[in-house]
Order: sequence, then C-alpha cells, then structure tokens
Amino acid sequence: MKIQSLAVIFIIIMLPISLVLTAYVQNQVQTINLQTSYDEKLTNATYDALKAFQLNTINSSTSDLANSKLRDINASVNTFFNAIAEHFNLAGYDKDTLQSYVPALVYTMYDGYYIYSPFTNTLDDEDAGTTYTDGEKLYGLKPYIHYSCRYVKGGIDVVITYTLDNCITVEGTINGKGVYKTGYLLDDVNVSGSGTVTYRGTTIEQESLLEQVGFYENGNFTNQPYPYTKKDGAKIYNEGDHSFTMLNGQKINTATNYGTTDSSAIEYYKNAYEFTKWVRDNLRGLTTSDIVDENGAYNTLQEEFGSGVNIFGSQGNINIEDPNSDFNQHRLAVIRYTIEKNLSIAIANYNRYASATSANFQMPELQEDEWEEILNNVSIISFMQGLSIGGKIYNGYSIVTNTKTKEVVNTDAIYIITNDGYYHRATDTDLIGNNNIQDVAYLNIDFERNSVTNGTTTQYFYPHTELRLLYINNKPDNSRCSR
Amino acid sequence: MGDTLITVIAIVLAAVLMFVFPLMTMSDRTDDISQLSVETATTDFVDDVRTTGKLTMDKYSSFVEQLSATGNSYDVEMQVQVLDENPGKKTTQAEATKIGENVYYTMYTSQIMDAINPSSGQTKTLALKEGDMFSTSVKNTNSTLSQQLKNFFYSVTGNDTYTIAAEHAGIVTANGAGN
Repeated sequence: MKIQSLAVIFIIIMLPISLVLTAYVQNQVQTINLQTSYDEKLTNATYDALKAFQLNTINSSTSDLANSKLRDINASVNTFFNAIAEHFNLAGYDKDTLQSYVPALVYTMYDGYYIYSPFTNTLDDEDAGTTYTDGEKLYGLKPYIHYSCRYVKGGIDVVITYTLDNCITVEGTINGKGVYKTGYLLDDVNVSGSGTVTYRGTTIEQESLLEQVGFYENGNFTNQPYPYTKKDGAKIYNEGDHSFTMLNGQKINTATNYGTTDSSAIEYYKNAYEFTKWVRDNLRGLTTSDIVDENGAYNTLQEEFGSGVNIFGSQGNINIEDPNSDFNQHRLAVIRYTIEKNLSIAIANYNRYASATSANFQMPELQEDEWEEILNNVSIISFMQGLSIGGKIYNGYSIVTNTKTKEVVNTDAIYIITNDGYYHRATDTDLIGNNNIQDVAYLNIDFERNSVTNGTTTQYFYPHTELRLLYINNKPDNSRCSR
Repeated sequence: MGDTLITVIAIVLAAVLMFVFPLMTMSDRTDDISQLSVETATTDFVDDVRTTGKLTMDKYSSFVEQLSATGNSYDVEMQVQVLDENPGKKTTQAEATKIGENVYYTMYTSQIMDAINPSSGQTKTLALKEGDMFSTSVKNTNSTLSQQLKNFFYSVTGNDTYTIAAEHAGIVTANGAGN
C-alpha cells in the first residue's frame, strides 16, 4: 500500500477519535468552569447577605437584643435570596427556583447559631386558617441552638454553654441546688484588698471614653462628642449633670448620672476572677468522660471529645484562656460538634422538602481551615446543591466571616489609640516601646459610619472623627455574657 | 486515476488539518481572551458603581469602550433594584432603612440610560443608596470567527447564541447622593 493511502487511513481513524476526545475534554472544562462560576456567585451572594447584616446591625442601637437580631437575620436571608437571584440571572434561574436548591443557611453567633431551612408548620384546628395551614411547608429560621454540652458526675448535673471566647454559662444542679451562672474564665488575675486589679502583671485602670453622637433634637440634626461609660453592653453618654442613652436615634435620659469614667474593664476582670474561682471550686473534677448525650448515655461521644481530659483543671504554665489550654480545645470541639450534627440533620432532612430536584442532599465536608474560621468568628455559611452543571450535580458551600460585629470581640477588632492621633491594631508591633500610647481602646465597629433618621431624611456621622483614649489592655466587652 | 484521487483526498485532509483546525483553535482562544477581558471589565464596572453608589455616563462609556476593544459588539443590560421605602410585609416595626425587609422596584437599561444621558449640556448622575442592588450582564451580538467556523462545520449553533458572556451583581455599599 502506498504511503498516501496509509496516511489517509490513519487520518480517517484518528480524526473522529480526536474529535470525540476534544468534545469530552471540553465538556469537562465547561463543567469545571460552571462550578467555579457558581461558587463565585454563591460567595458573592453570601457576602451581600453579610454586608446587609452588618449595615443593619451597625445602624441599629438594639441589634444585640434577641428579637432585633432575629429581624436582622431574616432581613439578611431575604437579601441573600435577592442577591443570588441577581447573580444567577444569566443562567435563567429566579428567586423561588433557587430557593429549592439552598438546603440551609447558617448564621453562627456568639454562643449558638441559627439554621434557616424549611420546616413543616404544625397547627391545631384553632390556629389553622387561610394564612397558614396545618402541615404546610414553610421556610424560616429554626430555634436558636446553643454550643452546649451536658455533664453528669456525682452530684453535678449541668449543661455548659460555650461561646466563641472564654465566656461560659453553667446551668443545672450541683448537689441538689439549681445553678445558673455566666462568666469569663481567666487565670492570673489578682484583686488586692484595696480593689486594685492586675492581669498578668498589668494594672487595670479606668477609661475616659469619648465619641460623637448624632441625633435629632427639636427637628435639627446635631452631632457632637460626649464622654460615655458602658453598662450592660449599652453606651451611656454623659451630658453635664445627667446621663442619656440612644435608642433608634432618640436621646433618652437616664434616672442616674453614670459619670464620665468607664470602669467596665475593672468589673470584667473582677467578675472573671470570682467566676473562675467558683468554677474551679465546683466543677474542678469535671472531665470529658462525664459527657452524656441527649439520651443520658455515657461514652457515646468519645470519638469527638476524647476521655479523661480535665476541662477546668489548672495546667501549670498554661492559662485557661490560652488557645492551647484543655478548656479551649474542648470548647472548640463542642462548638464544632453541635454545628456539624444539627447541620447535617437539617441538610439530610431537606430531601423531604426538595421537590424540584432529585439530588440527594448531603452536608459537604468542610476543610480544617474553614472550621478554624467558623470557630473563631461570627459567620454566615450558605449551601447550594442539586443544580445540574453538565457532567455532574453542583454541591457547593460558602463561608463568609463577619469581622465587624457587636457579637464577639477578637483581638483584631480592638484599636489602640496613641497621642499622635493614630489608631493601631492591638497586635501592631509599633506599639512595643511606644511612649505615645493612651490608656484607651475602641472597637473596630466604633469607627464605622452610623446613621440616624427622623423618618424623612437620614443623616450620617462617624463616631470617631477625633480620638482620645486611655489605655492598652485588650479588654473584651464585659457585657457580652449577659444575654 | 486511483493515485490522483487519493492524493487529492490527502491534500484536502492535509489542508483541513493544517489550516482549519489551527484556525479554529486560535479563534477559540481569541474568544477565551475576549471572555476574560469582558468578565474583568464587567466586574470592575459593577464594583465601581456599587462601592461609590454613583452611575454616570462617563463610567458607562468607558466600560463600553473597554468591551469594544475586544473587537466584538455587545449587548449590555443593566438593572438596578432600588430599595423602596415601603415595607414589604405587614409588620408593626418595619424601618425604611432596614436592608432586606423592604420591597425592591426595578430600573432596567432604558430607564437607567434615561437617568444618565446628558441633557441640555448637563451631565447627570444616577445616585444609588445602601442596600440597592446593581447588576450588569453582557453578551456578544456579532458572531465571532470561532462561531462562524463552528456554524460552517457543525452547524449546530443557532443565530442567537452567544459565546462571550459575563455577568456581575452586588449590593450597593455606599450612598451616592450628597457625598
């Protein structure tokens, strides 16, 4: 046979093969492209939801109250679905269609989390009507779930609720007596007879705090600096002979004059000192072997929590609030376990509600670094599953953490002020040996733009256009524990 | 005779293999590059609008200019979802400023163009506010070289399909009015 014939035969055989292969590879590439673009859209929508949540909470003076928080979360959920519909516009999906591909949205908070997912509405004859009927499938926020764990040992039967920091709540019975206590765990705090408080050798002092407050008075917008103190998490401003608080842009005078110096840092360390002592006295022997599950059985959760680790015991050089202490390791394990367990149930249950898609909804496995983010920050986790992306079914999730929040105070959220008018991160190396440090620190959200409205116009102001501060102790907000 | 035929076939095949296939691959890559620059331009444009809260003819024109630099013509669709001050649900405590509780009304491309088209020598700005949503989608309207080649060989693509498309959207994070 001639070489031309061989060449032609070779090409006739190879051409279809290479065409098919090209088509196949292109298909795969398209699937991956689509997956990436869906991931991006989901992240963007989650980010938009977070942004709405941030804007709503910063502009609201009541955002730390439970029902106000629920409102903000519901508004954020709405924003998420609006945003995701916008993002998937080109792909031809609308809001209602997309909702059936979102098995769960999770809002992790300071001491627990909300899951937004569908549920079956159960109503008796009396309540069922035209608006809501019995057995109807509704989307909504499920009850708040705390990061908690139950321990039973001897006379102790308590549920301990953990938080994103070293604050815990103990409730239950100890030797037949009911207890309900909340506080921070701190080692190395000393309270002298004269009331001087030191933490790790640093004396804790009072602060003179000052910020701009904007409000409408007699129909006019005013914006001027006032000294303030903090009481139970609320800022109380001082105006000469009286104090006032702000509620939704309104000045409300208080009965007592709270003065101009803030001693919540001292109170925080004092309370923590007493609470840690109480925990050590009453719960000293509590180990991870004393954990019982929801049925009251021991040893079923050993895989998650290990056994025999003394949770509140002293560890020599390691303070209880240190990240690598036994307490903190256990705290993170509890938070992770509660989220993982309830979320996987919520997503698996979604199969009963998802009529639009035949996909089997399962909770994807989160990476370790993603858990790290969830366990240390308030965040939104969104899931999206079941969309067809060519070769396979899309199964994606997105985690966006909220660093501008009143919920929890991280070291990164604290700004320390120096005489030269600058503010520094608490971890800033410039601060070492700096003689200009003032004895005051503010939170990052105190630097965000605030707004007040009188119904027709909205005015904006920044609380810290001028800075005056007093000291450098990293002081988490004392009020965070009082839920 | 047989030899001549097979030689002709061989030449045709060689031409296809050595000319048309590389051409198709190259035109595909050109589209990929266009796609990338269109995506970047769209993202930049939308992010610019939503972080400043302002949409002007200047921004729009430079965006369109960037698009046409790829050598294709595009259909640009913009959409603004404006947060209405009327609460979306019957509720006792709705606030006009709460993002997510209120209903949106939508402005589409033609209305947006009306709002930013300079009239009687005056430039106009469309001011958006916190919580509004802005989105833009871009599709090519001409048929690119790779589309033409594919149409010729496979003739599977219809007339109105596009190969270059980008879309970006997001919540507006700044008030464009007054600052």
